[in-house]
Amino acid sequence: MSHVLLLAKEEWRFWLRSNLALSAAILFLVLLVTTAILTTVRIAEERHAREHHQEKAESTFLAQPDRHPHRMVHYGHYVFRTPSPLAAFDPGLDSVTGQSMFLEGHQQNSATFAVSGASADLGEFAWLTPAVVYQLFAPLLIILLGHGAVVRERESSTLATMLAQGISGVTVLYGKALALFAAILLMLVPLLVSGGAAVGRGETVLAAILMVAVYFLYLSIWGLLALFLSVLSARRATALATLTALWLALTLLLPSLAVSNAARFLPIAGQIETGLVMLSDLRKLGDGHNVNDPAFDRLRRDLLKQYGVETVEELPVNLRGVVAEYSESRLTDKLNEYADRRMAMEQKQAALLARHGWLSPLLATADASRAIAATDLNNHQRFLKEAEALRFDFVQGLNRLHASKLAYIDDIKRSSDQQAEKRTRVSGENWKLLKDFRFKPDDVGTRAGNAWPSVLALLVWFAVLSIASVRAAGRIRL
Amino acid sequence: MSGFAPVFREAGLLKRDRAFIGWVVLTLLLSVVSVVGGIAEVSKQRETIARLIEGDREDRLEARAKQGDWGGAAYYSFHLTYDPPSNFAFAALGTRDQEPWKHRIRMLALEGQIYERDAGNPVLALTGRFDFAFFAAFVLPLVLIAVLHDLQASERGAGRHELLIATSGISSSPWRLRAWLKAGAVFIAAALPLLVGCIVSGTSMTRSLMAPAILCGYLAFWSFVSYRIARRERNPSVILATLLGVWVMVGVVGPAAGKLVIDHQVPVPQGADILMTQREAVNDAWDLPKEVTMDAFVARHPEWSQYAAVDRPFEWKWYYAFQQVGDQKAEPLSLAYRESRLHRDRLAGWFAWLTPPALLQRSLQRIADTDLRAHMEYEANVRLFHGQLREFYYGKLFPDAPFDTDALGGLPEFDPGMAAP
Repeated sequence: MSHVLLLAKEEWRFWLRSNLALSAAILFLVLLVTTAILTTVRIAEERHAREHHQEKAESTFLAQPDRHPHRMVHYGHYVFRTPSPLAAFDPGLDSVTGQSMFLEGHQQNSATFAVSGASADLGEFAWLTPAVVYQLFAPLLIILLGHGAVVRERESSTLATMLAQGISGVTVLYGKALALFAAILLMLVPLLVSGGAAVGRGETVLAAILMVAVYFLYLSIWGLLALFLSVLSARRATALATLTALWLALTLLLPSLAVSNAARFLPIAGQIETGLVMLSDLRKLGDGHNVNDPAFDRLRRDLLKQYGVETVEELPVNLRGVVAEYSESRLTDKLNEYADRRMAMEQKQAALLARHGWLSPLLATADASRAIAATDLNNHQRFLKEAEALRFDFVQGLNRLHASKLAYIDDIKRSSDQQAEKRTRVSGENWKLLKDFRFKPDDVGTRAGNAWPSVLALLVWFAVLSIASVRAAGRIRL
Repeated sequence: MSGFAPVFREAGLLKRDRAFIGWVVLTLLLSVVSVVGGIAEVSKQRETIARLIEGDREDRLEARAKQGDWGGAAYYSFHLTYDPPSNFAFAALGTRDQEPWKHRIRMLALEGQIYERDAGNPVLALTGRFDFAFFAAFVLPLVLIAVLHDLQASERGAGRHELLIATSGISSSPWRLRAWLKAGAVFIAAALPLLVGCIVSGTSMTRSLMAPAILCGYLAFWSFVSYRIARRERNPSVILATLLGVWVMVGVVGPAAGKLVIDHQVPVPQGADILMTQREAVNDAWDLPKEVTMDAFVARHPEWSQYAAVDRPFEWKWYYAFQQVGDQKAEPLSLAYRESRLHRDRLAGWFAWLTPPALLQRSLQRIADTDLRAHMEYEANVRLFHGQLREFYYGKLFPDAPFDTDALGGLPEFDPGMAAP
């Protein structure tokens, strides 16, 4: 044990004397801390702006004057997706997905205005976030620190001395690993601070801990890779060059190749394209603006029978409103059917990409990190679904007003008769049927469940590399 | 020894350097993968567009069949607009993953429609595809760094350093020649698949030549930097770490800082404000006296002033007039949104000269028409087309022309090249 501690201490002394290790560590820390501060500020501003817009959208809806309820169906409403507390660490999909959505009758709009489209374009890596700094650049620092661990002793012949003194190769490995893992823990301090700040903004402690755990696993994998190659290599330069090549393959090449793969083998038809098929289906459902559409004949017959009257004018409800509610409901079923199918395809594609995490720990980490930060596809899709539920709710509320508060006879004349038009307006008090919308991230259990497949991949990487390193170290001979 | 002899000698030595050959083969392979993937994606996008054009037409005819007046026909007819990929897009997919390149619009207020995003899966857009531009900008420098950083150190280590200098036959140094030969081999391995891709895609001669020329300059930059740093230091590990540091600086830190400063210096209006302004204007119009809307409309379209009187509570021409006025109200914001995006992009273009990887990526995207400017040109196309749609229907709605399905054949057709500069 004392050997292990001594070796670890010696390794740290070596790093502290090395200009290269020190300057790389300082560079990394500066980069990480600046990025963390800037991202936190940016996300806080985004959050503030979107909450402000949400409140404004609600108050303008409520402030609308007396009018025909169907006008409000088309007046519509806006919802905004507010970023989760951990988005300040990993904004995930926030910048590449639309953040606001217009809700109106008869259609599902897409989420508009992605930050990425309006930003200065300076290449893929210009979107630096703390999460990306950890995913891409922490491995470089670990490689720099760890590559020489064992091979350095071999090159300077001190390894032979140690072995001769009865210190086994495995003990040497443990000592070096202790030093490197201590460095990794230190590297995680900024993440701990970010996590703490997120807890301060309302995140659960468990989510913050999970986030730290995922990155600890990820960085450990790189630490083990560095140690493993350091044990195997005959020369430091070879170890460093091999590790750099690995870094290139695992963090730069594989992720983007995996994206190309996922896009190629599970192509998704766009919204417009599925929309075309859907529109044709929808027309068969009839136009809810037109009560004389043959699609509503049966509804009309049933209504007349139900109330035992001969003509629609005698009905105690406004046929136009009834038709509007009926057709909106059928239409929404259809729209949701297509939307669900599309979302399921997106999920499949994302899962295929995440499965590449078995090849590239970066992909697994990025996937788990987004899941825990609640900035992943699940959360974005839930935003879309909750927005849709809100849309359906207020549109149907308005349609029920339309059916119960307006006389059919006035309603059909309102385009030509000013007086009838006046009588078809309902009080603005009714707009209170609109529910508040505050987008909340998934609860932490769900998020952990979403992250689990990728965490499993990381655990396997960790286990395999641990075993391989210890075995390789066990084979070190004089 | 003189003339080409040293070149042959070095080339002969390189042929036996297995690690180097490995890197060159890897480069060739990755270049092929990026080009093949790009071509597949572009042809997929082309097929999508072809299917959409067909489906769009059928859908419009079907939707229109039930309509009995101009207003209804305009309300229910959507029109496809799209931005076809250029014949060099395979090499740099650029904004096509993130920004929508297809819309279906109708004659309602355009500001409410043009920001719709029928974009792909955001998870894929976030990571970014492996296209040639990414490969060239970020991966190739690392390959060069890998093959050039231990130029002398490895020979020193192998004890051949002095021998090589003494026998190379060139007074200056064999290292420079070797560095250029290595860099040249990497360049050829990277550029060859690109050229083949250009031929397959029918890329124009200028584009096919410009891209490798830019790439050549880019790789010359990295070779020069690698060579200089490799000459100054003895320890290959320090050289490698330093070069990686340069890569991180110009590829990541520099661009991130530049983006930050530019985005901060040039504020962009909030998208939500554009949409809200437009919606309020459109919806307020229902309750405003009709003349208010029609006056604002006629100010923009004096040619319809004689038909501007609206007598009934609802008339289609008034309905479309307030849609237009809604766009007019949002216009200052919308213009500011477009201009500030372009302004940011121009500044990014200047800034990129400090960060070569961004410069290379932007240049390839410019050649491929997949950058922000190309996206904005597409948006301008959509606006132009929407304007033509309005002109067509105004010509029917205002003079109260009798509805005639045949006349719908005279509708403007979207042409992706119509607003070409």
